[in-house]
Amino acid sequence: MALLEIHGLIKDFGGLRANDDISITMERGELVGLIGPNGAGKTTLFNCVSGLHPVTSGRVMFDGQDITDLKAHEVARLGLARTFQVYVASGDLNVEENVMVGCFMRTRSPSRARARANEILKDLNLHDVSEFRVSELTVAAQKRVTMATALGSDPKLLLLDEVAAGLNPSEIEEIMADIRHVHEDMGVTVMLIEHVMELVMKVSDRVIVLDSGKKIAEGDPETIVEDPRVIKAYLGERYVREHGGDIG
Amino acid sequence: METIKNALDFSDSPRIDLTIAGLVALFLLVFPIFPHSAFAMATMIQFLMFSLYGMGWNTIGGYGGQVDLGKAQYVGIGAYTTAVMLIRWDVPFWISMPIGMCFAVIWSFIIGYPLFRLKGHYFAIATIATTLVLKDIFEVWDFVGAARGLEISPIKYIPPDFLRLIFKQDVYYYYVILGFFFLGILYVNWFRRSRLGFQLRSIKDNEDVAQSLGINVHWAKVKTYAIATAFVSLVGSFHACYIKNIEPEDTMSLDLSILIALMAMLGGAGSLWGPIIGAGILIPCKSYLKEWLGAQVGLVGIDLIIYAGIIMVISAFEPRGIWGIVEKVRRRKRS
Ligand SMILES: Nc1ncnc2c1ncn2[C@@H]1O[C@H](COP(=O)(O)OP(=O)(O)OP(=O)(O)O)[C@@H](O)[C@H]1O
Ligand SMILES: [Mg+2]
Repeated sequence: MALLEIHGLIKDFGGLRANDDISITMERGELVGLIGPNGAGKTTLFNCVSGLHPVTSGRVMFDGQDITDLKAHEVARLGLARTFQVYVASGDLNVEENVMVGCFMRTRSPSRARARANEILKDLNLHDVSEFRVSELTVAAQKRVTMATALGSDPKLLLLDEVAAGLNPSEIEEIMADIRHVHEDMGVTVMLIEHVMELVMKVSDRVIVLDSGKKIAEGDPETIVEDPRVIKAYLGERYVREHGGDIG
Repeated sequence: METIKNALDFSDSPRIDLTIAGLVALFLLVFPIFPHSAFAMATMIQFLMFSLYGMGWNTIGGYGGQVDLGKAQYVGIGAYTTAVMLIRWDVPFWISMPIGMCFAVIWSFIIGYPLFRLKGHYFAIATIATTLVLKDIFEVWDFVGAARGLEISPIKYIPPDFLRLIFKQDVYYYYVILGFFFLGILYVNWFRRSRLGFQLRSIKDNEDVAQSLGINVHWAKVKTYAIATAFVSLVGSFHACYIKNIEPEDTMSLDLSILIALMAMLGGAGSLWGPIIGAGILIPCKSYLKEWLGAQVGLVGIDLIIYAGIIMVISAFEPRGIWGIVEKVRRRKRS
């Protein structure tokens, strides 16, 4: 049985169809990249799957259960965690305490939550900054803290929304290592939205491409970069006509 | 067991804070031994009561970030429950107080459940509105004395009556409320690092993120609102026995609701010591101002102007109040 099944998902915002009949299946243990130009509907898809937005139509199955109509916190408790594209924790919690909030999903005990948070912080090499406020960190460290927080709940599936955006190459290497660690060593199934192609292509088992709300392509990274529909979506109609589509 | 340990664990406060807190606690314990005026004693009792109001408000208003301007309705429920039960059926404080708390908490669920579907300013306004409605009801309800209110006649009892909390000397009231004050601090100290405490701070920061971490945002708010209510209702019950004369106007007024919120905000919303600092500053000011104004006709209402001024200063310069300034200075020193 697949871990995540999205069947014909449609999401309208007024007259705008942000997700148009999207179907995706993810097996346990996969690492799937989700790409597409700005405004393609990637974040919207995450919001619909994680229960933050009600869907217009379609069904979402997670771990054998229909989660389409569940609330966001109920979906999270079933083991589906996510990060947010533009969120920085700004409150008065420090890094360790932020991660603890995630851990409190699985325990009531503050000492157990703290212990688990510290394990995760060690795992992601964030132990040195555990006393800092999130807003005092570099963007790269902030992104890793949001990942650590999501991992606090011991999820089965982790949805990452542009964790590498705005990072320099060495930071991208670092976060790539984190993602691999989460996927391979912690055994978490991962779907990641990313504009940094180098990262997506390196880590993903499979890549899904959205454009204008539709799923236009799906396959392993090598075939996706050569797919004319994908090139067209990214570079525009004219470019493909002029270059005959063969830019690998 | 872990709960008790955590309530007593102040190790995350710097040593200087703990020293000051210890000295203040010592002063509060021995204050009645030294010569003092009745006025000073009354002011101290008010300070302790308002610290507790503020601690209660701080759970939902400070840690949870939900500006609640309707706490007075629960003061009223506590006060009236205790007064009515004592006058009509001679029920002692220690029984009527928890019953009043139950009434207040039930009312807080009835109010909180729908109100927490509202956000921001709408929530604040709705809490004011529900208080006004409850006050109007009490003003025409004969069973509770309508607008005249209720009076507990001390002649019927033989003070010191520890069961009914009827005393001749204020010092007894002082030590009772001081006991609640210390328990209140321990409770909040536990609460802020409990699961609910963490969840609230996450909610205050960003509700979408909080939900994605498995937090039932609406329910967490309703629960915390009930906790805040229990605090306030307890002090309301105490107020009935202490003042002995309660009216809708002074237990359920908008002034009281605002004063509770203001004090916590001035001291530092969302911090352990903030509400106590706020009450420590505002209550003496309020008492002396009132006494002084008694002789100055034409200056009535100046206290409201001062409160309004404080609100403006807080919101313009430091939304986290005096404690926010303390922390800012400390962080600057550290880095
Ligand atoms: N809450 C909302 N209300 C109305 N329209 C929305 C909302 N959220 C997203 N949209 C619209 O839906 C479309 C898809 O947006 P979405 O954020 O899903 O794109 P994206 O693929 O994540 O883009 P990006 O790469 O820029 O993050 C956009 O046109 C956007 O303006
Ligand atoms: Mg997006």
